Amino acid sequence: MKKLITNITVITLTAVLLSGCASMPTVTETPLDRNPITSKLEPQDVRRTVEKMAESLVSAPGVLEATGGKRPVLDIEPLQNRTMQHVDMVSITDSLRMQLLRSGLFRFVDKSTSGVDIEFMDNQANLGLTDSKKAIRPGQQSAAQMYLTGALTEIKNTVGRTTDQYYKFSMILKDLRSGELVWADEQEIRKQSVKSRVGF
Amino acid sequence: MNTGKKCVLYSALSLSLATLTGCVDTAGTTVHTDHVGGVSEVLEDSTRLKRRLGVEVATINYDVVNGMKRAHITLTNKSHKRLQLHYRICWFDENGVELDPGSKTYRMLIMEGRDSVTVTGVANNLNAVRSKLRVREADEAM
Repeated sequence: MKKLITNITVITLTAVLLSGCASMPTVTETPLDRNPITSKLEPQDVRRTVEKMAESLVSAPGVLEATGGKRPVLDIEPLQNRTMQHVDMVSITDSLRMQLLRSGLFRFVDKSTSGVDIEFMDNQANLGLTDSKKAIRPGQQSAAQMYLTGALTEIKNTVGRTTDQYYKFSMILKDLRSGELVWADEQEIRKQSVKSRVGF
Repeated sequence: MNTGKKCVLYSALSLSLATLTGCVDTAGTTVHTDHVGGVSEVLEDSTRLKRRLGVEVATINYDVVNGMKRAHITLTNKSHKRLQLHYRICWFDENGVELDPGSKTYRMLIMEGRDSVTVTGVANNLNAVRSKLRVREADEAM
Protein backbone atom coordinates (compact mmCIF):
# COMPACT_ATOMS: atom_id res chain seq x y z
CA MET A 1 0.00 0.00 0.00
CA LYS A 2 2.90 2.34 0.86
CA LYS A 3 4.35 1.74 -2.59
CA LEU A 4 1.01 2.66 -4.17
CA ILE A 5 0.80 5.92 -2.22
CA THR A 6 4.36 6.75 -3.25
CA ASN A 7 3.55 6.08 -6.89
CA ILE A 8 0.41 8.26 -6.81
CA THR A 9 2.39 11.07 -5.15
CA VAL A 10 5.10 10.86 -7.81
CA ILE A 11 2.50 10.96 -10.65
CA THR A 12 0.71 13.93 -9.09
CA LEU A 13 3.94 15.86 -8.53
CA THR A 14 5.06 15.15 -12.11
CA ALA A 15 1.69 16.37 -13.43
CA VAL A 16 1.93 19.56 -11.36
CA LEU A 17 5.45 20.21 -12.61
CA LEU A 18 4.46 19.56 -16.25
CA SER A 19 1.42 21.83 -16.02
CA GLY A 20 3.41 24.96 -15.36
CA CYS A 21 5.54 25.22 -12.26
CA ALA A 22 8.38 26.71 -14.28
CA SER A 23 10.35 29.88 -13.82
CA MET A 24 9.95 30.96 -17.46
CA PRO A 25 6.53 32.23 -18.58
CA THR A 26 4.67 29.93 -20.93
CA VAL A 27 3.92 31.66 -24.22
CA THR A 28 1.37 30.22 -26.59
CA GLU A 29 -0.32 31.55 -29.70
CA THR A 30 -4.02 32.01 -29.11
CA PRO A 31 -6.90 32.42 -31.57
CA LEU A 32 -7.72 36.02 -32.52
CA ASP A 33 -11.29 35.57 -31.33
CA ARG A 34 -10.49 34.22 -27.90
CA ASN A 35 -12.67 34.60 -24.82
CA PRO A 36 -12.33 37.88 -22.90
CA ILE A 37 -9.67 38.11 -20.22
CA THR A 38 -10.37 41.65 -19.00
CA SER A 39 -13.35 43.99 -18.93
CA LYS A 40 -11.40 46.45 -21.07
CA LEU A 41 -11.75 46.70 -24.81
CA GLU A 42 -9.92 43.76 -26.38
CA PRO A 43 -8.83 42.85 -29.93
CA GLN A 44 -11.76 40.48 -30.46
CA ASP A 45 -14.20 43.31 -29.56
CA VAL A 46 -12.59 45.55 -32.16
CA ARG A 47 -12.62 42.80 -34.80
CA ARG A 48 -16.29 42.02 -34.20
CA THR A 49 -17.15 45.70 -34.36
CA VAL A 50 -15.27 46.25 -37.61
CA GLU A 51 -16.86 43.18 -39.19
CA LYS A 52 -20.34 44.16 -38.10
CA MET A 53 -19.95 47.76 -39.33
CA ALA A 54 -18.54 46.65 -42.68
CA GLU A 55 -21.40 44.16 -43.21
CA SER A 56 -23.97 46.75 -42.21
CA LEU A 57 -22.50 49.36 -44.55
CA VAL A 58 -22.20 47.14 -47.64
CA SER A 59 -25.80 45.95 -47.22
CA ALA A 60 -27.27 49.40 -46.52
CA PRO A 61 -29.70 50.30 -49.32
CA GLY A 62 -29.27 54.08 -49.05
CA VAL A 63 -25.55 54.21 -49.78
CA LEU A 64 -25.59 53.28 -53.46
CA GLU A 65 -28.90 55.11 -53.98
CA ALA A 66 -27.28 58.34 -52.81
CA THR A 67 -24.66 58.09 -55.55
CA GLY A 68 -26.96 56.85 -58.32
CA GLY A 69 -25.57 53.31 -58.17
CA LYS A 70 -21.97 54.44 -58.74
CA ARG A 71 -19.17 53.52 -56.36
CA PRO A 72 -18.95 56.46 -53.98
CA VAL A 73 -15.64 58.02 -52.98
CA LEU A 74 -15.28 57.96 -49.21
CA ASP A 75 -12.88 59.31 -46.65
CA ILE A 76 -12.61 58.30 -43.03
CA GLU A 77 -12.35 60.63 -40.10
CA PRO A 78 -10.94 58.65 -37.14
CA LEU A 79 -13.50 57.84 -34.48
CA GLN A 80 -13.54 59.98 -31.35
CA ASN A 81 -12.42 58.16 -28.24
CA ARG A 82 -14.69 59.30 -25.42
CA THR A 83 -13.55 56.62 -23.01
CA MET A 84 -11.04 56.76 -20.17
CA GLN A 85 -8.75 54.17 -21.74
CA HIS A 86 -6.29 54.48 -24.57
CA VAL A 87 -7.66 52.94 -27.77
CA ASP A 88 -5.98 53.32 -31.15
CA MET A 89 -8.96 54.69 -33.08
CA VAL A 90 -6.95 55.16 -36.29
CA SER A 91 -6.23 51.44 -36.35
CA ILE A 92 -9.94 50.68 -36.06
CA THR A 93 -10.83 52.94 -38.96
CA ASP A 94 -7.94 51.48 -40.98
CA SER A 95 -9.37 47.97 -40.51
CA LEU A 96 -12.83 49.15 -41.50
CA ARG A 97 -11.48 50.86 -44.60
CA MET A 98 -9.63 47.69 -45.59
CA GLN A 99 -12.80 45.59 -45.30
CA LEU A 100 -14.83 48.12 -47.30
CA LEU A 101 -12.18 48.32 -50.01
CA ARG A 102 -12.23 44.52 -50.31
CA SER A 103 -15.96 44.66 -50.98
CA GLY A 104 -15.31 46.67 -54.17
CA LEU A 105 -18.38 48.84 -53.50
CA PHE A 106 -16.49 51.91 -52.38
CA ARG A 107 -13.52 54.01 -53.42
CA PHE A 108 -11.42 55.80 -50.84
CA VAL A 109 -9.29 58.87 -50.63
CA ASP A 110 -7.01 59.45 -47.66
CA LYS A 111 -6.51 63.00 -46.54
CA SER A 112 -4.09 61.92 -43.84
CA THR A 113 -1.49 61.24 -46.54
CA SER A 114 -2.16 64.45 -48.53
CA GLY A 115 1.03 66.01 -47.22
CA VAL A 116 3.05 63.15 -48.72
CA ASP A 117 1.16 63.57 -52.02
CA ILE A 118 2.14 67.25 -52.17
CA GLU A 119 5.75 66.37 -51.40
CA PHE A 120 5.81 63.82 -54.25
CA MET A 121 4.25 66.27 -56.70
CA ASP A 122 6.65 69.04 -55.64
CA ASN A 123 9.59 66.72 -56.16
CA GLN A 124 8.32 65.59 -59.57
CA ALA A 125 7.77 69.19 -60.68
CA ASN A 126 10.85 70.84 -59.24
CA LEU A 127 13.73 68.39 -58.82
CA GLY A 128 14.13 67.79 -62.53
CA LEU A 129 14.38 64.02 -62.14
CA THR A 130 10.94 63.23 -63.61
CA ASP A 131 9.87 63.58 -67.24
CA SER A 132 7.81 66.80 -67.09
CA LYS A 133 5.12 65.29 -69.37
CA LYS A 134 4.65 62.36 -67.00
CA ALA A 135 4.81 64.33 -63.75
CA ILE A 136 1.59 64.29 -61.77
CA ARG A 137 0.26 67.79 -61.30
CA PRO A 138 -1.91 68.88 -58.38
CA GLY A 139 -5.61 69.44 -58.87
CA GLN A 140 -6.53 66.04 -60.33
CA GLN A 141 -7.37 63.98 -57.27
CA SER A 142 -10.84 62.60 -56.64
CA ALA A 143 -12.99 64.43 -54.18
CA ALA A 144 -14.57 62.58 -51.27
CA GLN A 145 -18.34 62.52 -51.68
CA MET A 146 -19.00 61.09 -48.24
CA TYR A 147 -17.10 60.53 -45.06
CA LEU A 148 -17.29 58.01 -42.28
CA THR A 149 -16.90 59.01 -38.68
CA GLY A 150 -18.14 58.07 -35.26
CA ALA A 151 -17.35 57.72 -31.59
CA LEU A 152 -16.57 55.19 -28.91
CA THR A 153 -18.23 55.80 -25.55
CA GLU A 154 -18.24 53.88 -22.28
CA ILE A 155 -20.19 53.59 -19.05
CA LYS A 156 -18.40 51.99 -16.14
CA ASN A 157 -19.95 50.95 -12.84
CA THR A 158 -18.25 49.27 -9.92
CA VAL A 159 -20.22 47.65 -7.13
CA GLY A 160 -18.12 45.85 -4.54
CA ARG A 161 -15.85 43.45 -6.36
CA THR A 162 -17.87 43.59 -9.59
CA THR A 163 -17.09 45.95 -12.44
CA ASP A 164 -19.62 46.40 -15.20
CA GLN A 165 -18.25 47.96 -18.36
CA TYR A 166 -20.34 49.05 -21.33
CA TYR A 167 -18.94 50.24 -24.65
CA LYS A 168 -20.76 51.63 -27.63
CA PHE A 169 -19.30 52.18 -31.08
CA SER A 170 -21.46 54.58 -33.12
CA MET A 171 -20.69 55.25 -36.76
CA ILE A 172 -22.24 57.47 -39.40
CA LEU A 173 -21.74 58.01 -43.12
CA LYS A 174 -22.42 61.58 -44.15
CA ASP A 175 -23.02 62.92 -47.65
CA LEU A 176 -20.85 66.03 -48.05
CA ARG A 177 -23.03 67.65 -50.72
CA SER A 178 -26.41 67.26 -49.05
CA GLY A 179 -25.23 67.07 -45.46
CA GLU A 180 -27.54 64.09 -44.96
CA LEU A 181 -26.68 61.01 -42.98
CA VAL A 182 -26.74 58.14 -45.44
CA TRP A 183 -26.06 55.37 -42.95
CA ALA A 184 -25.67 54.94 -39.21
CA ASP A 185 -25.16 51.94 -37.00
CA GLU A 186 -23.86 51.05 -33.58
CA GLN A 187 -22.29 48.13 -31.80
CA GLU A 188 -22.71 47.59 -28.09
CA ILE A 189 -20.38 45.55 -25.90
CA ARG A 190 -20.97 44.82 -22.24
CA LYS A 191 -18.52 43.08 -19.96
CA GLN A 192 -18.37 42.17 -16.34
CA SER A 193 -15.38 41.31 -14.21
CA VAL A 194 -15.36 40.10 -10.62
CA LYS A 195 -12.24 40.46 -8.48
CA SER A 196 -11.27 37.41 -6.48
CA ARG A 197 -11.66 37.58 -2.69
CA VAL A 198 -8.00 36.74 -2.17
CA GLY A 199 -5.31 38.52 -4.11
CA PHE A 200 -3.47 41.76 -4.66
CA MET B 1 -2.82 -4.79 -4.75
CA ASN B 2 -2.21 -6.86 -7.85
CA THR B 3 -0.66 -5.57 -11.09
CA GLY B 4 -3.99 -5.48 -12.95
CA LYS B 5 -5.63 -3.20 -10.41
CA LYS B 6 -2.59 -0.93 -10.42
CA CYS B 7 -2.75 -0.63 -14.22
CA VAL B 8 -6.44 0.34 -14.03
CA LEU B 9 -5.72 2.90 -11.31
CA TYR B 10 -2.83 4.48 -13.22
CA SER B 11 -4.85 4.57 -16.43
CA ALA B 12 -7.74 6.27 -14.64
CA LEU B 13 -5.36 8.81 -13.13
CA SER B 14 -3.73 9.55 -16.50
CA LEU B 15 -7.12 9.93 -18.21
CA SER B 16 -8.35 12.29 -15.49
CA LEU B 17 -5.23 14.42 -15.87
CA ALA B 18 -5.62 14.49 -19.67
CA THR B 19 -9.25 15.57 -19.30
CA LEU B 20 -8.35 18.30 -16.84
CA THR B 21 -5.63 19.69 -19.11
CA GLY B 22 -8.02 20.65 -21.89
CA CYS B 23 -9.47 18.06 -24.27
CA VAL B 24 -12.41 20.23 -25.37
CA ASP B 25 -14.72 19.24 -28.20
CA THR B 26 -14.66 22.26 -30.55
CA ALA B 27 -16.31 20.74 -33.60
CA GLY B 28 -19.57 22.69 -33.29
CA THR B 29 -22.44 22.76 -35.76
CA THR B 30 -21.76 23.65 -39.37
CA VAL B 31 -24.24 24.83 -41.99
CA HIS B 32 -23.52 25.26 -45.70
CA THR B 33 -25.56 27.59 -47.91
CA ASP B 34 -25.11 27.72 -51.65
CA HIS B 35 -26.37 30.80 -53.55
CA VAL B 36 -25.62 29.23 -56.94
CA GLY B 37 -26.99 25.74 -56.50
CA GLY B 38 -29.66 26.81 -54.03
CA VAL B 39 -28.69 23.95 -51.76
CA SER B 40 -28.42 24.29 -48.03
CA GLU B 41 -27.29 21.53 -45.76
CA VAL B 42 -26.72 21.18 -42.07
CA LEU B 43 -23.58 19.32 -41.23
CA GLU B 44 -23.68 18.18 -37.65
CA ASP B 45 -19.99 17.83 -36.97
CA SER B 46 -20.79 17.49 -33.32
CA THR B 47 -23.93 16.12 -31.74
CA ARG B 48 -23.05 17.98 -28.55
CA LEU B 49 -24.90 21.18 -29.51
CA LYS B 50 -27.89 19.36 -30.91
CA ARG B 51 -28.42 16.65 -28.34
CA ARG B 52 -27.02 17.99 -25.10
CA LEU B 53 -27.75 21.70 -25.53
CA GLY B 54 -30.71 21.41 -27.92
CA VAL B 55 -29.55 23.92 -30.56
CA GLU B 56 -30.92 23.21 -34.02
CA VAL B 57 -30.99 24.97 -37.35
CA ALA B 58 -34.61 25.90 -38.08
CA THR B 59 -34.52 27.77 -41.40
CA ILE B 60 -31.95 28.95 -43.94
CA ASN B 61 -32.59 31.81 -46.36
CA TYR B 62 -30.34 33.81 -48.64
CA ASP B 63 -30.61 36.89 -50.79
CA VAL B 64 -28.47 39.47 -52.57
CA VAL B 65 -28.09 43.08 -51.45
CA ASN B 66 -25.99 45.67 -53.33
CA GLY B 67 -24.58 42.72 -55.29
CA MET B 68 -23.38 41.06 -52.08
CA LYS B 69 -24.60 37.65 -50.98
CA ARG B 70 -26.35 37.50 -47.65
CA ALA B 71 -27.36 34.44 -45.62
CA HIS B 72 -29.97 34.32 -42.85
CA ILE B 73 -29.90 31.27 -40.63
CA THR B 74 -32.40 30.79 -37.83
CA LEU B 75 -31.27 28.77 -34.83
CA THR B 76 -33.64 27.37 -32.24
CA ASN B 77 -32.87 26.63 -28.63
CA LYS B 78 -35.00 23.61 -27.73
CA SER B 79 -33.87 23.62 -24.13
CA HIS B 80 -35.18 25.82 -21.33
CA LYS B 81 -31.75 27.18 -20.48
CA ARG B 82 -30.03 30.38 -21.59
CA LEU B 83 -27.14 29.49 -23.85
CA GLN B 84 -24.00 31.46 -24.59
CA LEU B 85 -22.76 30.59 -28.03
CA HIS B 86 -20.34 31.89 -30.62
CA TYR B 87 -21.06 31.91 -34.32
CA ARG B 88 -19.12 32.77 -37.44
CA ILE B 89 -20.16 32.93 -41.08
CA CYS B 90 -17.35 32.44 -43.60
CA TRP B 91 -17.64 32.82 -47.37
CA PHE B 92 -16.23 30.82 -50.26
CA ASP B 93 -15.92 31.44 -54.00
CA GLU B 94 -17.17 29.05 -56.68
CA ASN B 95 -13.96 27.02 -56.45
CA GLY B 96 -14.46 26.48 -52.73
CA VAL B 97 -11.64 28.82 -51.74
CA GLU B 98 -12.30 30.75 -48.54
CA LEU B 99 -12.45 34.50 -49.10
CA ASP B 100 -10.54 36.79 -46.77
CA PRO B 101 -9.80 34.04 -44.25
CA GLY B 102 -9.20 35.45 -40.83
CA SER B 103 -11.33 38.53 -41.35
CA LYS B 104 -14.49 36.79 -40.18
CA THR B 105 -14.54 36.47 -36.44
CA TYR B 106 -16.70 34.59 -33.96
CA ARG B 107 -19.53 36.72 -32.60
CA MET B 108 -21.39 36.35 -29.35
CA LEU B 109 -24.89 34.88 -29.46
CA ILE B 110 -27.03 34.61 -26.36
CA MET B 111 -30.13 32.43 -26.78
CA GLU B 112 -32.85 32.40 -24.16
CA GLY B 113 -34.65 29.13 -23.41
CA ARG B 114 -37.08 27.97 -26.11
CA ASP B 115 -36.11 30.94 -28.27
CA SER B 116 -35.19 31.33 -31.94
CA VAL B 117 -32.54 33.74 -33.20
CA THR B 118 -31.68 34.59 -36.79
CA VAL B 119 -28.05 35.27 -37.53
CA THR B 120 -27.11 37.12 -40.70
CA GLY B 121 -23.87 37.14 -42.60
CA VAL B 122 -22.96 39.39 -45.51
CA ALA B 123 -20.12 38.54 -47.85
CA ASN B 124 -17.74 41.48 -48.19
CA ASN B 125 -16.66 40.12 -51.54
CA LEU B 126 -18.44 40.02 -54.89
CA ASN B 127 -16.98 36.58 -55.68
CA ALA B 128 -18.63 34.87 -52.73
CA VAL B 129 -21.14 32.16 -53.60
CA ARG B 130 -21.20 29.80 -50.64
CA SER B 131 -21.26 30.42 -46.93
CA LYS B 132 -20.56 28.31 -43.91
CA LEU B 133 -21.94 28.94 -40.45
CA ARG B 134 -20.14 27.50 -37.47
CA VAL B 135 -21.67 27.52 -34.02
CA ARG B 136 -19.82 26.59 -30.86
CA GLU B 137 -20.26 26.97 -27.14
CA ALA B 138 -18.71 30.14 -25.72
CA ASP B 139 -16.63 28.17 -23.21
CA GLU B 140 -15.04 26.20 -26.03
CA ALA B 141 -13.06 29.30 -27.04
CA MET B 142 -9.70 29.78 -25.35
